[in-house]
Amino acid sequence: MGPVSATAGPAASPDLALMPAGAPRRGGRPALSRLFRAVRSSRKATAGTVLLVIFILVALFPGVIAHDPPNASIYPRALGPSAQHLLGTTALGQDIFAQAIFGTRQVLIIAIGVGLFSTAVAVLIGVAAAYLGGLWDGSLGLLTDVLLVIPLFPLLIVIATYVQNAGTAVLVLVLTLTGWSYTARQLRAQALSLRHRDFLEAARVRGERRLYIILVEIIPTMTSLIVASFMTNALYAVLFGSSLQFIGLGDPNTVSWGTMLYWAENNEALQTGQYLWAIVPGVLIVTLGAAFALINYAFDEIGNPALRPVRGRRGRRGRLPAVARPAPAAAGPATADLATAQSPAAGQLTGPGGAILEVRDLTVTYAMERGTVTAVDRVSLDVAPGEFVGIVGESGCGKSTLLFAIAQLLAGPAAITGGSVVFKGRSLVGLTDTQLAAVRWKDLSVVMQSAMNALNPVKSIGAQFKDAMRAHGVSSRQEIADRSAEVLKMVGIDSAHLKSHPHQLSGGMRQRAMIAMAMLFTPDLVIMDEPTSALDVVAQRSLMVQIKELQQQYGFAVIFVTHDMSLVSHFSDRLLVMYAGQVAELGATREVFDSPLHPYTAGLMEAFPSIRGPRVELSGIPGTPPDLSRPPAGCRFAPRCPRATTRCAADRPELYQIGATQVRCLLHEHGRNSGIADPDLTGPQGVSSD
Amino acid sequence: MRFVLRRLGFFVLTMWAALTLNFFLPRLMPGNPALAMMGKFRGPVTGQALKALEVAFGVNTHRSLISQYFAYLGDVLTGKFGTSLYFYPESVGRVILDAIPWTIGLVGVTTVLAFLLGTGVGIVAAWRHGGLADSILPPVFVITSAIPYFWIGMMLILVFAEKLRWLPASGNFDITMTPALTPAFIGNVLQHAILPAAALLITTIGTWVLTMRNTMVTTLAEDYVRMARAKGLPGRRIMLDYAARNAILPNLTGFAMSLGFVVGGAILVEYVFNYPGVGYMLLQAVNNEDYPLMQALFLLITVAVLVAILIADLATALFDPRTRTGG
Repeated sequence: MGPVSATAGPAASPDLALMPAGAPRRGGRPALSRLFRAVRSSRKATAGTVLLVIFILVALFPGVIAHDPPNASIYPRALGPSAQHLLGTTALGQDIFAQAIFGTRQVLIIAIGVGLFSTAVAVLIGVAAAYLGGLWDGSLGLLTDVLLVIPLFPLLIVIATYVQNAGTAVLVLVLTLTGWSYTARQLRAQALSLRHRDFLEAARVRGERRLYIILVEIIPTMTSLIVASFMTNALYAVLFGSSLQFIGLGDPNTVSWGTMLYWAENNEALQTGQYLWAIVPGVLIVTLGAAFALINYAFDEIGNPALRPVRGRRGRRGRLPAVARPAPAAAGPATADLATAQSPAAGQLTGPGGAILEVRDLTVTYAMERGTVTAVDRVSLDVAPGEFVGIVGESGCGKSTLLFAIAQLLAGPAAITGGSVVFKGRSLVGLTDTQLAAVRWKDLSVVMQSAMNALNPVKSIGAQFKDAMRAHGVSSRQEIADRSAEVLKMVGIDSAHLKSHPHQLSGGMRQRAMIAMAMLFTPDLVIMDEPTSALDVVAQRSLMVQIKELQQQYGFAVIFVTHDMSLVSHFSDRLLVMYAGQVAELGATREVFDSPLHPYTAGLMEAFPSIRGPRVELSGIPGTPPDLSRPPAGCRFAPRCPRATTRCAADRPELYQIGATQVRCLLHEHGRNSGIADPDLTGPQGVSSD
Repeated sequence: MRFVLRRLGFFVLTMWAALTLNFFLPRLMPGNPALAMMGKFRGPVTGQALKALEVAFGVNTHRSLISQYFAYLGDVLTGKFGTSLYFYPESVGRVILDAIPWTIGLVGVTTVLAFLLGTGVGIVAAWRHGGLADSILPPVFVITSAIPYFWIGMMLILVFAEKLRWLPASGNFDITMTPALTPAFIGNVLQHAILPAAALLITTIGTWVLTMRNTMVTTLAEDYVRMARAKGLPGRRIMLDYAARNAILPNLTGFAMSLGFVVGGAILVEYVFNYPGVGYMLLQAVNNEDYPLMQALFLLITVAVLVAILIADLATALFDPRTRTGG
């Protein structure tokens, strides 16, 4: 039944997608109320449901609307529409309106029957195959696939021919037997993807029985796919049940839309001008089918919100809505002062203060179904030529969003809603992709977290290098080949690997190849989003050393995002600590490490072992970052802060300048260098955070 | 290579399953349908026709089921399908060979066309996610996917053949013409193909648009697309080389998986338009209880679909380097 479902190729994971990004997953509880809300908010689902309810009412009480016995040939033949016969009569003298109304019942019985039975079989086979695994999975999966590719309709025809004049029950049986495989395949794929999720492992560790796990943990998680499966099968039953009846393989004496079409065709409705004989039942089939299809499609969208239509935003990618123009510098309470450039800075074009990148009050919001979420909140940062700036913070603090906002790579519901990004004297915010192309890669390149995802899986490394160079006017084959080999060598990879595809390289090599790609034009700024976090500790170190060496050799500036404080401590010149979308602390790395001003910075330092210091117990920070759609009223860190006072819950701290460091903490409100900087609260001993 | 071998193995297995189904279905049905049919058979039951029936259903033989089964497999593999009862004395093979070119011409061409066209529209719709086309097309195609193939055929006949009288309503060419490679005859054939092709196109294209659009939307959120933007690549290259090329891979498999469904629709379209292809013959066989022809056609359609799936698999292997190396 491929054609009736709109499911995207890879099995989506519906319920996970319902969660707002970054929300903790709470196991496999059915999100029924959320599902219900999502259905109500979808116009397609609402339309489909209304239609379906009308049909069900008609099927339950046909006698209320049409009084005639539907199959009795008691009227004059082939009458046109009249007050007495709204839609005329058939060639046998039956009332068409009555037939249409009474025919609803059989069609719905077949649709719902096949929908229920097929879905039940599909759930059983899919879940069992995925859960039992091994030989069971192999053979059930194969059975599903084999049945799936055997042409259904010819098979249906063959079976129905042997059965002769199939009545309702036989039709349901035959359609179920031939129809379950398509949705079984989808359900199996999803059950397989659930298999190693934490909450299932947890249930297994708890020693729950298999049946319990299947019934209570797996099936509820797949609710939206199961509903979609029912709709798919019901639609299939409507279309193919009618088709069988149309070609005369059903029982010609039943009252149903398919049978009506059979008689219309046999009595040459089109040739004799009796169009209503064919139009009425057909329109009904399409309407009922559309009801199932609309609900099915809506559930696909619920499972994968990206598919939903985007409202109120321009379609073409890369164009952003009107953006607040750069705010005057005075708007922010404090502007980052420039760090001294420590690495070679050739006479590059820089902003007025000598910075290569000036970010002012940059604000990024996500437009969600229920209001907006500010993921990056008025962040200001200057980067000097050749400088290495580390950005640290927990997951969900807006680090990556900030990076992509700087690089003008935001997509989907995220957009810059305020502030400015000036790179080499040029304002980037609001430029189109075409306008940005001149700056991209030549001057500003990006390295992402996972090269496995960031490199195009179907193109060789060399081809991806070539694309980048050709996009910037390098057309000589020789030049492309030479430079590609050169940058690969720079990161210690043999140039033979230009012919390799990403999947053929090891994890470490892939990351290096991506860094090599970022070096193609020796840019002025390289933005790195946790480029080492996918690697093991040893590979991490060697990659970091490599990055630092390249940086010192070629003098480009780096913005480096990580959640690992110890990683940046040795490599970065300056450190920006982000919490809940805001700058918590910004200062020279050494100073921040030696005397962290913000309790969050201190907490982050305790979360990682010091390489040189004595062994101490890691305390970390209890709790999780706040939900950014409802940030705490006062200081955003207050609920988790070991030093919070009653004031912290109510007053919002600004960024305060303490020496060369900026900090957003009320402890430093009046420039007092107090509190956290207390000697016994810093250093490797750490604070006890109880 | 391992991927291709595995798909070949799957092909053989499915073929065998279809053959076996074809053999056992009539024998498993309550009240041997062949016996019922023999009783009803009004035509001249010659010795040969009887024999055809016996081969197909194992009536009046004293051979065991197993030996019948192997004899049947041998017959199928050597292309012996017996004699058609309805088109007697033509052989089943002859009837089928006459029908095949018409189906390949109509259904084959239309299906590939619908896939290419639908995929193209899907790519552009997803690329302009949120644009006008992208908000109108999905609901429209969701509804067209609920139209029965045969009914859209009837409506096209009603409008373009009966009302407007622009195009012929049935057949593959005017019976007054003699088949020849003349422009007039070819034009006549094309004229007859327009309405059935339109019926198939309207009902199938929506699927390809929707699946491609949906996979493409998912692919556009991938890191490698963002990376391509970061590299400053031209939009067209990102759309085709980075997003569409990856998005089309699962769709090729989906295309293959849906072919059986499309063939089912094609049968009905041929029936409505009296287009003498394989599907029309199948329904002729069904209506005239020509069981040997019906069985052979079912097998033929299955083989055709499986071959198409194999081609789609090979195309996947060609486009996706991950299937060429590794498992």
